[in-house]
Amino acid sequence: MRKQLLSVLAVAALSALLAGCNKSDSAAQPPPAAGASRHYTIGMSQCNLGEPWRVQMNEDIRTAAAQHPDLTVVFKDAQNDTLKQRAHIEELVSSKVDLIIISPKEAQPLTEPVARAMDAGIPVIVLDRALLGDKFTCFIGADNKKIGKAAGQWIAKKLGGKGKVVELKGLMTSTPGQDRHTGFREGIDGTGVNVITEAEMKWLEPDARKEMESALARFDQIDLVYAHNDPGAHGAYLAAKAAGRDNILFVGIDALPQEGVAYVKQGILDATFRYPTGGAEAIDAALKILNGQPVPKKIVLGTRLFDKSNIDQGGEALP
Amino acid sequence: MSNSSSPAPPPAWKLFLASPGGRALLALVLVLAAGAIFNADGAFFKFGTHRDTLRQASVYGILACGMTLVIISGGIDLAVGSVVALTAVCAARMAIHWNWPAWQVVPASLVVGTACGTIAGWITAGWRVQPFIATLAMMVFARGLAKYASGGMKVSTAVQNADGTYRYVHVPPLFNYIDRRILGENLSVVTVIFLICVALAWLALSRHCWGRYLYAIGGNEEAARLSGVPVVGAKVCAYAASGLFAAVAGLCQAAQEQQGDPEAGAGYELVAIAMVVIGGTSLMGGRGGIGLTLLGVLTIGYLDKILSINAVPEAGRLVLTGVIIVAAVMTQRRRRT
Repeated sequence: MRKQLLSVLAVAALSALLAGCNKSDSAAQPPPAAGASRHYTIGMSQCNLGEPWRVQMNEDIRTAAAQHPDLTVVFKDAQNDTLKQRAHIEELVSSKVDLIIISPKEAQPLTEPVARAMDAGIPVIVLDRALLGDKFTCFIGADNKKIGKAAGQWIAKKLGGKGKVVELKGLMTSTPGQDRHTGFREGIDGTGVNVITEAEMKWLEPDARKEMESALARFDQIDLVYAHNDPGAHGAYLAAKAAGRDNILFVGIDALPQEGVAYVKQGILDATFRYPTGGAEAIDAALKILNGQPVPKKIVLGTRLFDKSNIDQGGEALP
Repeated sequence: MSNSSSPAPPPAWKLFLASPGGRALLALVLVLAAGAIFNADGAFFKFGTHRDTLRQASVYGILACGMTLVIISGGIDLAVGSVVALTAVCAARMAIHWNWPAWQVVPASLVVGTACGTIAGWITAGWRVQPFIATLAMMVFARGLAKYASGGMKVSTAVQNADGTYRYVHVPPLFNYIDRRILGENLSVVTVIFLICVALAWLALSRHCWGRYLYAIGGNEEAARLSGVPVVGAKVCAYAASGLFAAVAGLCQAAQEQQGDPEAGAGYELVAIAMVVIGGTSLMGGRGGIGLTLLGVLTIGYLDKILSINAVPEAGRLVLTGVIIVAAVMTQRRRRT
């Protein structure tokens, strides 16, 4: 019995140790020399660095902040734990940062700590996922429905108004999955584009490949694959390539530089639509707030289309 | 002991159906029959469907081979999914980013996986920590290492330069080779690798004294120790072998994705355990075999494929898979009288 208890304790200690190792509470820049204009410290609370997209968000913030020597950004990673993120917000408030950027894990439990930060006089920028109520300075996020619709319209145009499409969906219990689905259906509505089969690949590349293999076995003609993320489109491409089926177009979403954009450059995907992280925009808004300029309460980011024709110019902005 | 009361021996087919192998085969035949009925406009009868089913089941199957060894010894290995991710990340880094040749990438990846297995095995056998806890710790630890080694990003053919831009390199020949098909495009290389793993596990279990030791330990560890079986060594070797198979699976995973994903393999350990148990190998240890696991792998692999070609929605798939696993295990239980 005591041995069992000991082993449980060992595991707990191990996980605590691991959690400690992963924490990235590092300052992005050394504090600048005194005598410069007023120096600002921004606290960035990220909900989970386990996703490449969120790693990219921090990267974008870091890059944008590096342009401004009077900014220091302190990064916190809550490792997908709501209570940890709540503690991070409280830490940032008590260390009296000048502004907080938060990409919250979920709305309900984080609304209250953010409101308290606002009460303490610290402006808060909310990134990507919304909070309840309106006690924050500014919300910056993209609209998955709009992106899905843009993808649908591009696909309808590309196929000349008619064709057979396979839709590989993300996790349909998640809002991005639902919005990328309904937006896409709106985009192709009224055209001759026909979704012949749809399957959930849960954002995972191996699952996308599996579902695509099934679709290939079943349908002799497939014109295009629309996947809710780029790894999904890549998995479908691998399946079609292995089956020797050319003449299929592949469209994905997210357009991370090392994923979707790379795939378009390598000729694997035909198009990808960026789901912007808003990192750079957050730093822009932060500077405005800190300098006393007004910012809109809600900033909805547009998407960017990357295809063969514009990939070398860095894509094309869509409204 | 059960036939002492029955006057005439039962017919051969009844005996066969009462055996674990017969029951596992029956489950597979039922799933295949379901596929023949719900054939998705004939897609089930195409040769390519079966080739793809075998390819998809291969990574899980390779894990199930190692899992069979561990489960027969009375243990369990929860770490294999994370070890898949760790070796996939390491292999992708070595093959794509560092341009190592295949003869260095393969052994180095196998060493990484085997080391994970050996450590977990030593913790459970040497320090007598329960296998569930020891391998759970290794599962968390290896996942952390995978994230650390990859920097949290997928290790892909888009390589980041020092200034933050990306350059694009080719998929290494090793990955292309593993993801190929041979014999006139009729057999995936990963399936061949899976079958080799099955053969190796069969040799170890049936033709080597180590296999007998594992059965003895799983049946009654104390009795095995008293009869002079090197319990600790045999158990550590079982976990090491499981790590080795997980490394092979990791290489196959990386080759098929053309990248090393630190999130790969999450939940694979549970699929592998389900495959072993559906085959009829007892979670209590001491009973089972690799042939049964092969049947279990095919049963779950085909079930998955049939649900996929019929485009059954996700909710229905999960419910059906759960029901069928329980049904298959129930038929296995009935023979214990």
